[in-house]
Amino acid sequence: METSVKLIQVKNLKKHYNKGAIRALDDVSVDVEKGEVLVVIGPSGSGKSTFLRSLNLLEVPTNGEIIFHDIDITKKKFLNKHGKVEKVDINFHRQKMGMVFQHFNLFPHKTILDNMILSPVKVLKMPKAEAVEKALMLLKRVGLEDRAGAYPIQLSGGQKQRVAIVRALMMEPEVMLFDEPTSALDPEMVGEVLEVMKELAKSGMTMVVVTHEMGFAKEVASRVMFMDEGKILEMGTPEQIFDHPKHPRLQEFLSKVL
Amino acid sequence: MDSFVTSAGFEKTFRYIKLIEQGLLVTVMLAACTVVIGFILGIILALMRMSDVRPLRFLAYDRKGHVRNNKFLISLSKVNPVSFFAAAYVEILRSTPVLVQIMIIYHGVFGKLIDLPNFTIFGFLKFNRFIPGVVALGMNSGAYLCEIIRSGIQSIDGGQTEAARSLGMTQGQTLSNIILPQAIKNILPAIANEFVVIIKESSICYTIGVQELMFAVDAIRGANFIIMEPLLVATAIYFCLCFPTSKIIAYFERRMSRGDKR
Repeated sequence: METSVKLIQVKNLKKHYNKGAIRALDDVSVDVEKGEVLVVIGPSGSGKSTFLRSLNLLEVPTNGEIIFHDIDITKKKFLNKHGKVEKVDINFHRQKMGMVFQHFNLFPHKTILDNMILSPVKVLKMPKAEAVEKALMLLKRVGLEDRAGAYPIQLSGGQKQRVAIVRALMMEPEVMLFDEPTSALDPEMVGEVLEVMKELAKSGMTMVVVTHEMGFAKEVASRVMFMDEGKILEMGTPEQIFDHPKHPRLQEFLSKVL
Repeated sequence: MDSFVTSAGFEKTFRYIKLIEQGLLVTVMLAACTVVIGFILGIILALMRMSDVRPLRFLAYDRKGHVRNNKFLISLSKVNPVSFFAAAYVEILRSTPVLVQIMIIYHGVFGKLIDLPNFTIFGFLKFNRFIPGVVALGMNSGAYLCEIIRSGIQSIDGGQTEAARSLGMTQGQTLSNIILPQAIKNILPAIANEFVVIIKESSICYTIGVQELMFAVDAIRGANFIIMEPLLVATAIYFCLCFPTSKIIAYFERRMSRGDKR
């Protein structure tokens, strides 16, 4: 195996509610390596979504570190290369982390094309013509080039989620975060979204995926992480996790879902 | 008993057509200025009410950064003076009559504190009466529009903000590109209603001597001892102002809801 580059380092991440009475994340430490597909599984309420949403600070952790580009993005300030104190620009770091949500969260008042070019044009100051060209190319990749002028409500769930994925890709992120991307879809449409995600994984994109699709985890994951009650109980290759689970909680979980 | 209305009365009324025209112009200007002030004030107040300014936030944590176990300090740390100010403003303005507010602004603020230059615009509009009227009406409708705008912003699903922020947009970009366009679409009927209310409520300015439509009615009454005829003319004019306003906004509402239809 080639030498691994740690893209995101998560150290002792904690998220507490009600003064620590509820621990959504309880001392979670994990490294996300460049090019890997890290799949997070676990029962609902196990903290896997909170973990994912913490990575780009949609959820602000109570304690711990998230190191991305050598900067702890959970803090307000950092020391730059020249030893000067600089503000952490979370908007800049979020540009490098694409996120796909369970409920798609497309902007309903904008067409598919406008959904895609909005952020590149406004945030990256990309020329509009260039953004449009790029958007049409990406839409073609997911087979939706003829729907560029449609509004989100005119699309099926699977189509919406494919648009949401390419919308995130417009920003050329270094890592893609998927928060249960197929949980709100009709069973029929799950396949088309997973297909896009598989292709994305093949192209070498670093991905962190929270999902209940065990088949996808088995097939695509580089590593699988099992969480319960805010803790990582077991982590390993898909074979280790699915074929030789060690932790009794994981064995129990798998016996129910498989 | 006199007849309800007479054609002679209307004839007399229309002799003052110039006065009525001026009144109409002032009413429109009052309403337009009020809408602008009220809308800007409403957005500012709404953002203030939803702000997260907590200067005493540090009180909730001890030196190690853990949350304290002191209920008093915890509640003190949650105090948001900006939001409190906006909420107090809205509640006071909504719970007192606009007539009282307009008197306080005219006699109090502009009568005793601020001196306005005494000149006329277009040869008939008294500046030092018009401005207090606009300020009072603007402040009043700002309070109502604040609540309308706030409900509109809060009606937008939190996922929209999350999606925009995850794409790297700042809070301001998210607000102006994603939240406000959708919020305004949702609250357009309520805003239309408020605009119509402003046009009608501007008539109250006649009590401080702004020469708007009702002032013209009163002048005609004083000179000719007729009341129903000028009132009916004013009624027709108010209707012709308010009815198209709500229709025009209904048109924009249809245009903006393009994304809702399959």
